[in-house]
Amino acid sequence: MNTPTAPHTPPSVFAVRDLWKVFGPKADRVPGDAGLAALDAAGLRARTGCTAAVRDVSFDVRKGEVFVVMGLSGSGKSTLVRCLTRLIEPTSGTISIDGEDVLSMDAGRLRELRRHRAAMVFQHFGLLPHRSVLDNVAYGLEIQGVGRAARRERAAEFVTKVGLEGMEHRRPGQLSGGQQQRVGLARALAVDPEVLLFDEPFSALDPLIRRDMQEEVVRLHREEGRTMVFITHDLSEALRLGDRIALMRDGRIVQLGTPEEIVGSPADDYVRDFVRDVPREQVLTVRAAMRPARSTESEAGPALAPDATVHEAIEAVARTGETARVVQDGRCLGVVDQAALLGVVAGVAAPAGKAAA
Amino acid sequence: MTATVTPNGTPATVPPATATPMGPATEPAASATATATGALRAFARDRRRPIAAGAVVALVLGALLLGGGGWPAALTVDLSGPLGTTSDWIIDNRDSHPLFLYGLGHVSNAVVLSVRAVYLVLLALGWAGVTAAAGLVAWRVAGARLALVAVAAFGACGLLGMWVPTMQTLALMVVAVGASVALGGVLGLAAGLSDRTHRILRPVLDTMQVLPAFAYLLPVVLVFGIGVPAAVLATVVYAAPPMARLTALGLRGADAGVMEAAASMGATARQRLLTARLPLARKELLLGVNQSIMMALSMAVIASVIGAGGLGDRVYQALASVDVGAALAAGVPIVLLAVVLDRVTAAAGERIGAAPARHARLGWAVAAVTTAAVAVAGRLSGRLGWPDAWTVDIAPTVNTAVDWMTAHLYSGVPVIGGTADWAGHFTTWVLDPVRGGLQWLPWWAVLVTVGVLALLIGTWRTAATAVAAMAGIGVLGVWDPALDTLSQVLAAVAVTLVLGFAVGIAAARSARLARALRPVLDVFQTMPQFVYLIPVVALFGVGRAPAVAAAVVYALPAVVRITTQGMRAVDPAAMESSRSLGATGRQQLFQVQLPLARPALLLAVNQGVVLVLAVVVIGGLVGGGALGYDAVFGLAQGDLATGLVAGAAIVGLGLMLDRVTQPTERRDPAGKGA
Amino acid sequence: MARTRTRARTRTRFAALAAAVALTALTGCGAADMTTQASPYADAKSSRTVTLSVQSWVGAQANVAVAQYLLEQELGYRVDTVQIDEIPAWDALSQGRVDAILEDWGHPEQEKRYIDDKGTIKRGGDLGVTGHIGWFVPTYFAKEHPDVTDWKNLNKYADTFRTAESGGKGQLLDGSPSYITNDKALVKNLDLDYQVVFAGSEAAQITQIKQFAKEKKPFLTYWYNPQWLFEKVPMTEVKLPAYKEGCDADPKKVACAYPHTPLQKFLNARFADGGGDAAAFLKKFRWTTEMQNDVALMIAEQKLSPREAARKWVESNEATWRTWLPS
Repeated sequence: MNTPTAPHTPPSVFAVRDLWKVFGPKADRVPGDAGLAALDAAGLRARTGCTAAVRDVSFDVRKGEVFVVMGLSGSGKSTLVRCLTRLIEPTSGTISIDGEDVLSMDAGRLRELRRHRAAMVFQHFGLLPHRSVLDNVAYGLEIQGVGRAARRERAAEFVTKVGLEGMEHRRPGQLSGGQQQRVGLARALAVDPEVLLFDEPFSALDPLIRRDMQEEVVRLHREEGRTMVFITHDLSEALRLGDRIALMRDGRIVQLGTPEEIVGSPADDYVRDFVRDVPREQVLTVRAAMRPARSTESEAGPALAPDATVHEAIEAVARTGETARVVQDGRCLGVVDQAALLGVVAGVAAPAGKAAA
Repeated sequence: MTATVTPNGTPATVPPATATPMGPATEPAASATATATGALRAFARDRRRPIAAGAVVALVLGALLLGGGGWPAALTVDLSGPLGTTSDWIIDNRDSHPLFLYGLGHVSNAVVLSVRAVYLVLLALGWAGVTAAAGLVAWRVAGARLALVAVAAFGACGLLGMWVPTMQTLALMVVAVGASVALGGVLGLAAGLSDRTHRILRPVLDTMQVLPAFAYLLPVVLVFGIGVPAAVLATVVYAAPPMARLTALGLRGADAGVMEAAASMGATARQRLLTARLPLARKELLLGVNQSIMMALSMAVIASVIGAGGLGDRVYQALASVDVGAALAAGVPIVLLAVVLDRVTAAAGERIGAAPARHARLGWAVAAVTTAAVAVAGRLSGRLGWPDAWTVDIAPTVNTAVDWMTAHLYSGVPVIGGTADWAGHFTTWVLDPVRGGLQWLPWWAVLVTVGVLALLIGTWRTAATAVAAMAGIGVLGVWDPALDTLSQVLAAVAVTLVLGFAVGIAAARSARLARALRPVLDVFQTMPQFVYLIPVVALFGVGRAPAVAAAVVYALPAVVRITTQGMRAVDPAAMESSRSLGATGRQQLFQVQLPLARPALLLAVNQGVVLVLAVVVIGGLVGGGALGYDAVFGLAQGDLATGLVAGAAIVGLGLMLDRVTQPTERRDPAGKGA
Repeated sequence: MARTRTRARTRTRFAALAAAVALTALTGCGAADMTTQASPYADAKSSRTVTLSVQSWVGAQANVAVAQYLLEQELGYRVDTVQIDEIPAWDALSQGRVDAILEDWGHPEQEKRYIDDKGTIKRGGDLGVTGHIGWFVPTYFAKEHPDVTDWKNLNKYADTFRTAESGGKGQLLDGSPSYITNDKALVKNLDLDYQVVFAGSEAAQITQIKQFAKEKKPFLTYWYNPQWLFEKVPMTEVKLPAYKEGCDADPKKVACAYPHTPLQKFLNARFADGGGDAAAFLKKFRWTTEMQNDVALMIAEQKLSPREAARKWVESNEATWRTWLPS
C-alpha cells in the first residue's frame, strides 16, 4: 500500500505492517505461502477451509487524525480494528503503537494498553444492562481500579459532555439507541485514551440520530484533537468524518487516501463504482477545478481557500458571475471558472485542473 | 417433582415459531427459505433411505444369527455380589473409618447445625414474625399482590394445624436450597467458563435429570444413616443440577458484545467474570434458584421416607393409616409454599433489569423493622406458636368426599362403567398387549428399533447413546422388568399426550379456560404424589392401571402448559394472513397453528416422557411392579443390589426415551455431548 | 488505585479465612461421630429426648403413640418419632438415630449383625403381642365356599380370584416391599395357579381390600395379625402346609406356612444402658393384641390422631400401664 508521506506528517500512533488475520484450521500457513496468499476467498476456502479476514494490510494512523476504515460487510474492517488492541489475535504482521510492538506485549502490558491508550466504541454499544448510565460510564475507570467516588465524579462530567445530564440513574434499557451510544462514547472518553476506536458505532441508529452523532464526533475531534480510528460501511459517513480513508475489499485495502483522492481519483473500477453516487461537489475541493490565472483574473472575483469545496465555489461563482480566485496566505494559487466546476460535478476531468492538484 | 422444574424443558425454552412461509417476508427471502426447506427435506429423504436399508439388513442378520427371545443370560453381569460387599463395608466402617469420622461426619454435623440454626430462628420469630417476614419480603421483591398471597399461604399452613411441620420443612429447605445453589452455582461456573468441563458435566447433568429421586435415597442413607443430613444431601443432589445447568447456560450465553467491550477496556479475567459475565447471567441464575427451590420442595415428601421429618413425614404417616384427609392437610402447605416461592422468585426475575424503585433501601428498612416489631410483639404476648384454637381440621370432610367419590365412581356407573372397569379394560386391552409385544420381540430387534428411531429424530450420537442405554439395561439383567416398565411408560405417555394436547389446544383458544386452568395445573404440579396414591388406588384398584393414572396426573400439567404456550407463540402474522384468506377456525388450527407449533409439541412429547418416567417409582407403590417396585424394594430392604440396579435401569430407559424423542435442533448447536 | 485493589484483595482473603475458622469452630476439629448426632428439631429447652421408630403399619403406630404419651406425661421426656421401613430402622437404631423399635417381626440377619457382632443394639424383650402372617380370604366368601380355606383347593378358585392385573391366573395380593414374604416361592413350590401382585405399599393394599369388601368381591391376600383391618373387613385364614421349625430356612424352597412370632422390642445399646427411666420404661412396656388393636382402630377407623387415641386408652387402662413405670 502506498502511504503518502508529506513533509510535515505528524508521528504515527498506530503503524500496521503486513497484517494478516486468517480464521480456520492451521491458519498460520496461509500468509507465508505465496500460492495460498494469492487465492481469492472462495479458492482459499476450498483449498484450506480457512477464511482470510484481513490480508496483507499496512497503514499508519497519524496523531490527531480521523482515520476511517470503510468497506462493505465482510470486507474485514471490523476484524482489522480488533486486531489493533488484539481483541482478535492477528495471524501475522506487525502492529506498533507509538513505536511499541503490540504483538509482543505480555498480558499486563496489553491490559495497560486497553485501559489507558485505546478505548473502543461498539456498534451494539456493549453496555451493562444492570448498571445505571453513570456506572456504565464509570466502568472503564472501575476496571482501572479508580475509587468509587472519584470515578463517579469523573463519569458525571462525561455524561454531561455527551449531553445526557439528568439521565445518570437510568438503565441502558430505558434509553433510545442514540442515547445508548452516547453512553458508549462517554465510557470510552472517560478513560482519556490516546486513541478512540469506533466500530461502526452509528450503523444501528436512525438516519437523523446518526447525523447528530456524527456531528458530535466532529465536535469532539475539533475540541480535543484526539486520534480516532473509525470503522464504517457508510460512504457518506466516511467522507464526512475521515481525514483519510482506507477502503477495504475482501480483506485488502484497495485504496487509501483523503476523501478527495478517493472520490476524485478512484484507484480501480471497484472504488469508482463505489463512489459513483457521491455528490462530488461536496467532497472535492476547488483544487480539483483550479487552473492558472489568466491576465487579470488573479486580481478580481471572490476569494476562496484552497480546501473550500467545489460546492462553495459554485455558489460564489454563481453569485458573482465571475471566476473565483483560490487564495492562500494572500497569494493567488489559481482560479476556478464555471466550466471547470461543471466538469467536476459531471465527473469529467477538466483538462487544465488536474495538473495543479 | 414438578414440571416447571424440568431442567431441560422450562417453558421458557419453547422455541418460538418464527420461521413462517406465510409471513410478510420479502420475495427473495421467502424463496430463499423455500429453497432451504427444500434442501432440508431432500436431505431428510436421503437420510431415511440408508437408515431404512441398514435397519432391514440388521433385522435379517439378527434373525439369522441371533434368533429370538429376551436378553441372553450370557451377556449379563451380576452386580449383587460387589454391591452387597460395598454395602456391608459401609455399615461396618461407618462408625470407625477416618473417611466417615473426619470427612462425611463433619458434613453431616454441619448440616444438622445449619438446619437447627435456621429452625431456631424461625421459632424465635414466631408465627407472626415469620408470616410478616414472608409478606414483607414478597412485597419488596414482587409487589403487594404477591405479598398478600404469601401472608395468606402462611396463614393457611397455620390454620391447617401444620405450623410446626411447615417450619421444619422450611428450615430444611433453606439449608438444602442454599447448598444446592452454592454447589450448582460452582459447577455451573466451571461449565460456563471451560468448554472441557462443560463437555464432561453435560452428560452427567443429562443423566441426573432422568434419575428418579428414589434412586438417590438408598446410597445416601447407607452413608449418612436415617435423618435430616441424609435428607438434605439427597435433596441437594436432586436440586443442584438445574442450578448448574442454568448457570452454565447463562454464563455461556452472555452477550458477546458486552463481554468484548469489557475486554476492550482491559478488564482482567476476574473483572470480566464479576462485573460483566455473572451480572449478565442473572436472569438464568435466578431461574436456576427458582428451579432448585421447586425441585427441593418436590423432594420434601420423598425424603420423608428417610427421616426428613416435617410436612413430608406427616404425609407419609397419614398414608400409613390410609387417611387421605390428613395427607392432604400436610400436602396443601407444600403446594402453598411451592406456589408462593415460585411466584415470588419468578416475579423477582421479571423485575431484574428495571431501574430500582426509588427509596428501595427505605422499603427494605421498613420491612426489616416491621418484621422485628411483629416478632417482638409476638414474643412479649407469649404467642410464638400458632394458637391451637385457630386450626381447622379438614381431614374428615376430605375423607367423606373421597369416600363418596370412590363409592360412586368405582364400578357400576350406568353406560360408561366404573373406573375399576376402565382400569380392567385398559390393563387387558392396552397394557397387556404392549408388554407382551415388547417382551416377545427379540432383544436385538428392540435395540435396532431404538437405534433407528433415534437416528430418524436425532444424530448418530444420540442413536448410539440410546442403544447403549438400552443395552446397559440388558447387561444389568433387568431386561424383562424394564420392558414391563417401558410398556407402562408408553401407555401413560400416549394417554398424557392425547389429554394434554386436547386440553392445551382448548386453553390456547380460550383465555378464560387458560386462566381457570392455571391454579389447577399449579396444584397438580406441586402436590406431593403420596397424597393422591390412595384416591388413585381407590378408583383404579391395585396394579399397573393406577400406576399409569398416577403418571398421567403428574405429567399432564407440563404437557398442557407447553402445548398452550407453543400454540400461543405462533406468529400472529401467519394467523392473520390465514384469516385474511378466509380460513375457518378449524382450518387455522390444523393448517397454521399446529404445524407452526410443532417444535413446542415435540418438546411436550419429550417432557411427557421424562416426567412419566420420573414417577415410575411412585407407580411401584400402587402395584405397578417391575422396576418401580424393585426400587422401592431396594430402599425398604436396604438392598443396594436390587435398588441401585433398578435405579440404573430407570436411568437407562430415561436416556433412551429422551434421545428417541428429542429433536436434534434443540440440542447444543455445536453438537457437544450426546 | 493500586492500594484500593490490594485492600479489596486483603478483605476477600480475610473473609475466606474467617469463614474457614467459623466452619472449623462449628463442626469442631478432629473426629465427627455421626452416631451422637441429635435431631435438629429437638426442643431447645428439654435435654431429655427419646426418639422412637414408627413403622408404617398402624399397630406399630399404636405402640409408639401410647409409649410416647406416657413418656411425655408421666416421665417428662420429649419424644421424637421417625417413620422408617424395617431394615433401615435397624440401621438407624444401630447408629443411635432412633433409640428404640417397639415392634419387630423377626430379622435374624440384622439380629446377628447388630446384636451379636457389633453389639450396637440390645434386646428389649417381648412386646406381648404375637404376630402371624398368612393368606386370607374375606369371611363372607369363606362362608359361602368353606373349602377355600385349605390351600389344596386354591387352584379350584383360581378363576374366581382372577383380575385384569393377574392375567390368566388367580391373584394373590401382596403388600409393601418392606414386609417379610415368601409368597412367590410358596406359589411356585405348592404348584398354585396364582400370580403374586405386589400392591407396593400397605396403603394401596388396604385401599384395594376395602374396595373389594365394599363390593363383596372375592379376593386372596397376604395379611398379618394383629391388624385393625380385621375389625373392618373380617377375613379368614387359608391353611397352608403346617409350619415346622426350620422349614423356611431356604427362602427358595419354602413350602410351609408362616410362623407365629412373639413380637420383639429392640433398644440402641447406648440408650439401653444410659437411657435412665425411659429405657427402663420401654423395656417393661408390654401389652396384648387386643389392647394394641383398640388403639390402632381408633387411629385408623375413627381417624383420631395417635395422640388422642393414646390419651383415651391411657385414661381407661391405668392398671396396665402403672406396672410399666420405673419404681
